[in-house]
Amino acid sequence: MGNETFSEGFDHRQKDRSPSAGTCPSLEAARDANRVWHGAVEILSNERIALQTYRLQFLCPPIARRITPGQFVMVRLPGSVDPLFGRALALYDLVRDQAGLAVGVQLVYRVVGRVTGILAQKAPGDRLEVWGPLGNGFPADPVPHLVMVAGGIGFTPFLALGQEALGRRQYGTPARSAPWAEKVSFCYGESTAAFLAPLDEFQQTGIEVHISTEDGSRGRQGLVTELIEPVVAQTGLPCRIVCCGPEPMMAATAQIARRLGLPCLVSLERPMACGLGVCFSCVVRVRDESGGWDYRRACAEGPIFDAHQIVWDTEESG
Amino acid sequence: MSEEVQLAVQIGRLHLPNPILVASGTFGYAREMEGVVELARLGGIVPKTITLQPRRGNIPPRTCETPSGMLNSIGLDNDGVEVFLKRHLPYLVTVGPPIIVSIAGKGPQEFIELAARLDKAEGVAALELNLSCPNVSGGIDFSTDPARCRQVVVGVRQATGLPILAKLTPNVTDLVPVAQAAAEAGADGLTLINTCLGMAVDWRRRRPRLGNILGGLSGPAIKPIALRAVYQAARAVKIPIIGAGGIASIEDVMEFLVVGASAVQIGTANFYDPTVSMRILDALPSALAELGACSVAEVVGVLQTEPVPSATEGGPRR
Repeated sequence: MGNETFSEGFDHRQKDRSPSAGTCPSLEAARDANRVWHGAVEILSNERIALQTYRLQFLCPPIARRITPGQFVMVRLPGSVDPLFGRALALYDLVRDQAGLAVGVQLVYRVVGRVTGILAQKAPGDRLEVWGPLGNGFPADPVPHLVMVAGGIGFTPFLALGQEALGRRQYGTPARSAPWAEKVSFCYGESTAAFLAPLDEFQQTGIEVHISTEDGSRGRQGLVTELIEPVVAQTGLPCRIVCCGPEPMMAATAQIARRLGLPCLVSLERPMACGLGVCFSCVVRVRDESGGWDYRRACAEGPIFDAHQIVWDTEESG
Repeated sequence: MSEEVQLAVQIGRLHLPNPILVASGTFGYAREMEGVVELARLGGIVPKTITLQPRRGNIPPRTCETPSGMLNSIGLDNDGVEVFLKRHLPYLVTVGPPIIVSIAGKGPQEFIELAARLDKAEGVAALELNLSCPNVSGGIDFSTDPARCRQVVVGVRQATGLPILAKLTPNVTDLVPVAQAAAEAGADGLTLINTCLGMAVDWRRRRPRLGNILGGLSGPAIKPIALRAVYQAARAVKIPIIGAGGIASIEDVMEFLVVGASAVQIGTANFYDPTVSMRILDALPSALAELGACSVAEVVGVLQTEPVPSATEGGPRR
């Protein structure tokens, strides 16, 4: 396949070739909200922000205007057949123009395999294929105290979410109402300090940051899950926990939330081929009303799930 | 010039507005793709295979990227025919293109029951018999053995007046007898090919990379195998063939038409290049015109196999 035919803003739905008479406006609006933009974008910057960790920025107003925290985009190397597939990367932040309008997307990734390794070599002006926004994203339901828990590269959705919760930024079209939390805490664990994301952006937003490292090189020595209970207890405000990271860490966080009687949402990362809900690769076990479970697609029904509905791999499958 | 090219094709009793279809298992139930492509432009939609009873599908990991392709062992994860009729078909019939329902059964009787059930449903254009899913015990046998293939096609033919496509496996010593059996049994057309059985291994962990150990290979890696299968079958049977296997560009489409396919299905490319079908449709009229054709039918099977004089072989033209 040649990317020479791959023109910018490749969105066939916008051509509207067959304007059908008598279409329902609300249905059209719903379809518009679900519209996925697919096309080629040009890299604005691709800078290293921590060990093996990069921040990628590109202009793409159609995605930037609609994406909300916890949603993701698929990023693919243009025209590449090996590696063939895109990779799912969560929204980190938006790029805004001087008037404050959302015009681009920031993604943060860690070099873990071939695609991210090649991505790290990309320079401003290089092109990528992207499609999005994808997935359900975090709800913006009001809560007094939002406790965000991240392990490793799982921190990426939480800058945008914390900014929105505190009313510093708005996301989506129409813009979701904000602020929706009085206090936002961020419990963030890495194996060692060199992997830590720049925390000033979080702190400037008013997010209270709590760090742990497994080797004790920064913050409390130990696992991030050990930070949760003291942070929840310090205010006495009703809490919601949101969590992203390695699966055992999310399962442990879910268990703590359950013990404390707190709502807990997790952002699940599963290998995805399409991100659109058509390949049925990225399934997770989710409890259903009958007391059993069924596979649900992390890309389409998630990636944000109620942690208490997930059948973790550490559990008996039942 | 392009406007005058006749794109409609006839597959036995099945009429298609154009030869660009989307393959079963790569397009969900189309709803997932409505925000991405103009569904109404497609020549036909083959939704994800349905079975009599709901199936959870196979244990993850269900897919694995391989050089220029992917292995999958989804395992026919679907909600069963009744949910399909209630939830998916009513939407599919509003989309526009012919809906070709892919069905799979554990034995001839299940195929027949499914065909009888769908025969009564409104809006089904044809059935595609998934005689070759490598991921389900019993699924593949029907198209490795001409007699069993014939038995299923004859049974379905008696149960329904709908046009029938038989989707065959490449995982046989010789697919010609199977193709002939399907044709003699009354299939309107053949879909060639389903995935090629394969495997991927993580030797350090001494583990297969798929939960189901074996899976079906698809994507650009299998295109030469698919072209070969279409070529062989086209010379042996009179019924039309729908080519599938690694198609990702207008070039690929034209290659399949020239070797003898009357239409094509785009499969794995929908995962990594979700608007590819639209770009192929844009390019099709001028590609046909390049061969001096005013219709798709004029280029089907026009492959010239007699030796080319060595003076021009591989050399520059003109």
